[in-house]
Amino acid sequence: MAKSRDIARRMQSVESTRKITRTMEMVATSKLRRARMRVRQARPFADRLTAVVENLITPELTDLDPLLRQPDRIRRAAVMLVTSNRGLCGAFNVNLIRKARELLAELQASDVETEFHVIGKKGISYFRFRNVSMAGTHTDIGDDPSPEDARALIDPLAERFIREDLDAVYVVHAEFRSVMSTPPITRRLLPVYVPQERPTREPYYILDPSADVILARLLPLHLVSSMYRALVENAASEQGARRTAMKSATDNADDFLTTLRRQFNRARQQQITSQLAEIIGGAEALKG
Amino acid sequence: MDESARKLKIAVISPTAVGFEGTGESVVVPAYDGLMGILYGHAPMMTLLGTGDVTVTDGSTVHRISVSGGFLQVVDNEVSVLAEQVGEPSSHGSGTEDAG
Repeated sequence: MAKSRDIARRMQSVESTRKITRTMEMVATSKLRRARMRVRQARPFADRLTAVVENLITPELTDLDPLLRQPDRIRRAAVMLVTSNRGLCGAFNVNLIRKARELLAELQASDVETEFHVIGKKGISYFRFRNVSMAGTHTDIGDDPSPEDARALIDPLAERFIREDLDAVYVVHAEFRSVMSTPPITRRLLPVYVPQERPTREPYYILDPSADVILARLLPLHLVSSMYRALVENAASEQGARRTAMKSATDNADDFLTTLRRQFNRARQQQITSQLAEIIGGAEALKG
Repeated sequence: MDESARKLKIAVISPTAVGFEGTGESVVVPAYDGLMGILYGHAPMMTLLGTGDVTVTDGSTVHRISVSGGFLQVVDNEVSVLAEQVGEPSSHGSGTEDAG
């Protein structure tokens, strides 16, 4: 008697959890659609801008623009880790945190003084718990990052790079390859990558104004667009990871419910059988 | 070469929106130092953008997209306008804006 009631209670609790995970899955799916669109939008812009900047840069120009500075040795570096504000997205944040820890360890091993910036509540609470000091924490980047958000993050670091207060800026974020594949990656935003071989520019390429003036205008834009891309890729990856996690949670709840229902029916049947046996037994005894 | 092939491929994009994507016979772009017209067969070039409207003419249809900041690249009759911001033109026109 008590057993079947216990099972019924558990079924109810699993059912209500399933409702929650199912809803979260659907919310993540719709947010993912929008986030994906933003990634599809940001990528061609960032790619072309990167191609143009790399095409214009020549080693001679690196002395002219402070933002193009190529330090001989990296003494001070900033690491910016992008995580999510909300959990329930599987191993998403854990993977990012691991990647960031690897990078931090690597930099420390090569004697680089590192300052650590974290975006997203999940990363912040992890490193706060671990007593890792953070130079900057940001929780105001939502599901819908804007280029202005990116600018606010990268501008102070770029300024300090120009003042030679920093020699390198790294960003750790998730790359949105597909819904199932969102590996954490490290990107170096500063110093700007200078291709070793000379660019093969067409001989009649018209540059107006000259390459250094164009670069001076495009470099800040390039940094913002790279940072923006990191934010939108991360936002899309977060929704993808959450959808996958919630889908498997819902599937698990379904499996669990099937098992419980079978147990419940068996318990109920047993109860009826024993009740019947009692009644028949009682009737037989009265006849006697 | 037949006429339809002598058209420019034009893309006006910003990090958050597509202002225009398609073909046109000519395009007028607000460069940093004034308006600049581009026709089929233009030499490869790159310049900075100012603020104003990009005008794409294709036969009798005219598209206008307002842009601000960024740069313009012309390579192999492909015109790429990478603006910091794109939007509806200042005066009315047929610019399209992506909601994303």
